[in-house]
Amino acid sequence: MSGPLFVGVDVGSSATKCVVLRGDGALAGHHAVPSGFDYGESVATALDRALESAEASRDDVAYCVSTGYGRRKVEIADRQVTEITCHARGAREWYPQVRNIIDVGGQDTKVIRINEKGQMTDYRMNAKCAAGTGTFLESIAVKLGMSLTDIDALAMDSKADAVVNSYCTVFAGTEVIERIKEGQAKEDISMGLFRSIASRVSEMIPAPDGAVGVTGGVVAHCRAMVRALEEVLKTDILLPPMPQHAGAYGAALLAMESSKTSKGAEGVC
Amino acid sequence: MSKAAKRVEIKAQKRLKSLVRDYFLNLDAAADDSDRKVAWCTSVGPCELLVAFGFEVYFPENHGALLGARKVSHEYIPRAVGEGYCAESCSYMTSDIGSSLAGYSPLTEAFGIAGPPKPDVLAYSTNQCREVQDWWSYFGRKHDAPVVGVCPPAHLGAITPDHVKFVRGELVRIIERIESHFGMKLDHAKLEEAVALSSKASSLWRDVLDTARARPSPMTFSDGLIHMSPVILMRGSQIAIDYYEDLLAELKQRRDDGVAAVPDERFRLYWDGMPVWPKLRELSDKFFDLRAVIAASTYCNSWAFDEYDGGDPLDWMAKTSIEIFINRDEGFKQSFLTEMFERFDIDGAVFHNARTCPNNTNSRFGMPQRLRETLDKPVVVFDGDLSDVRFFSTAQTMTNIEAFIEQLEERKR
Ligand code: SF4
Repeated sequence: MSGPLFVGVDVGSSATKCVVLRGDGALAGHHAVPSGFDYGESVATALDRALESAEASRDDVAYCVSTGYGRRKVEIADRQVTEITCHARGAREWYPQVRNIIDVGGQDTKVIRINEKGQMTDYRMNAKCAAGTGTFLESIAVKLGMSLTDIDALAMDSKADAVVNSYCTVFAGTEVIERIKEGQAKEDISMGLFRSIASRVSEMIPAPDGAVGVTGGVVAHCRAMVRALEEVLKTDILLPPMPQHAGAYGAALLAMESSKTSKGAEGVC
Repeated sequence: MSKAAKRVEIKAQKRLKSLVRDYFLNLDAAADDSDRKVAWCTSVGPCELLVAFGFEVYFPENHGALLGARKVSHEYIPRAVGEGYCAESCSYMTSDIGSSLAGYSPLTEAFGIAGPPKPDVLAYSTNQCREVQDWWSYFGRKHDAPVVGVCPPAHLGAITPDHVKFVRGELVRIIERIESHFGMKLDHAKLEEAVALSSKASSLWRDVLDTARARPSPMTFSDGLIHMSPVILMRGSQIAIDYYEDLLAELKQRRDDGVAAVPDERFRLYWDGMPVWPKLRELSDKFFDLRAVIAASTYCNSWAFDEYDGGDPLDWMAKTSIEIFINRDEGFKQSFLTEMFERFDIDGAVFHNARTCPNNTNSRFGMPQRLRETLDKPVVVFDGDLSDVRFFSTAQTMTNIEAFIEQLEERKR
């Protein structure tokens, strides 16, 4: 194993992701595990597996930045940074031209606006509810006895519009039953669910000009989410190579930058 | 930040505790005394009139805030909802009605009294919101007491003499109702005195808030929330004036000595909207740890009125009651906020979108976006509530605030 490594750990509500970078910014390893009940354990597993894939150990870590809702649970972290800044940093590295970043996560959805200098100028988080998040999809999938992957596969075969108007998970569930009773195709109803999220997201885009990139677990697993966003926002969407790891990747990049300033630099909190 | 950094307490706070205690004990005694009368009043209602008539004045919104600060509002709101009050209407109102139905009051634990004093009359002004009218009416029915109110023109841009004349007429109508109901006569000299005292306390309060213009600021929003009690509860009395003279002297001294409310102050923020009473400490600690001082707020400024310089006291009451920020249009509000940002050298603003108080929330008609664009300052909006914690997510709000500070840091680089 060569040189010091820079690590980003993103402890989200659904998954814990870890990215390991070499000193030149090249990807050395990564891993994701469900966050589960024990964040300490999921952090340890994601970290050790990612280091394993980089053929390294914890001793090789020069600097670590943690992010996500469980960022304070990462003992090895030298600094904690919010997932908003980390997603912006990760997406910007992949696509310097990106101006709007949409992160559709399990528990919340964020829209981040960055300017031509790469600075974050505005961001929005969804209100305190499941509308517009992965939880919305998961809840309805469970109700239909399906998995998220099933719903995604069905939606990709959609040929016609089936409208699910409600943002509310409970009301949307009732609407799905209505659509089934009306005899609408399950493929179209599934796509309607993704469009409902996209429509909620469209309200959060502060200035819908410039390139739009997506990150987060939902777009990593559901191509239909990207398609729905493209349809609703009427623009091409940039889908990075590891959308689910964007926060951890951004954190690892910030780890590299922080270590240049000072080891043990003070975090924001 | 340095873990050793500590808050330097404002000394006047100790005296404030005993003043507030005396205020509530006096109210309690007045309610038990058949020779004395108690009036309930909205926080920017016709308080001076009531003082001039000799009523002891109680402010139910303060009770709502106390329920919030004690983190118990959500326990009592369902009782009010059961009575037909919407769970998304003012949580001061619903928690106050609910706690009354449940027979609970935070005043019992704090001051050993049974609860709010029984009203002989309830007076309101809808200059802040229409909710108070229904809130007061509920207790008017409950206590079989008359409810009198002013419904001034709302959402005003420029204030015209006609507006003032109309409100003055409403105040005269209140006077007549009180006089005929209680068989009393308003002493105009006493009204002038109450207005002069109220105005003096209000000016001093403005000077107190102004000390936060200094870098570092000697006080922050949470200090303002603590120290604003006299300008609301003791308006129209010499007690409020004496208190603010002392507080102002102390804050000026802190300012001259460079005593910072937030040591190593890095950012100066503006707070718009209601406080989040149940999370006051957590939020204050978060900003403290991030070395960001909330140097100014719309809320604390709500009781900084124009000075009374003699003349008709009813005119002053009418004018000040409709001039307040909450009663103005978006254009006025934007100019006011712009001026405040400049006056307090603000780096960015935090807007609280309070679920149950649209009236004191200014992020619903594009204001944050307009300020961000015209002033080139970062602005963040977070969802929450003044009292009902069920509308507040600690993790989400804290992330929102931290990200905001990261944004400010990035701009500084
Ligand atoms: S202004 Fe808001 S918090 Fe105050 S009484 Fe009215 S609705 Fe309630």
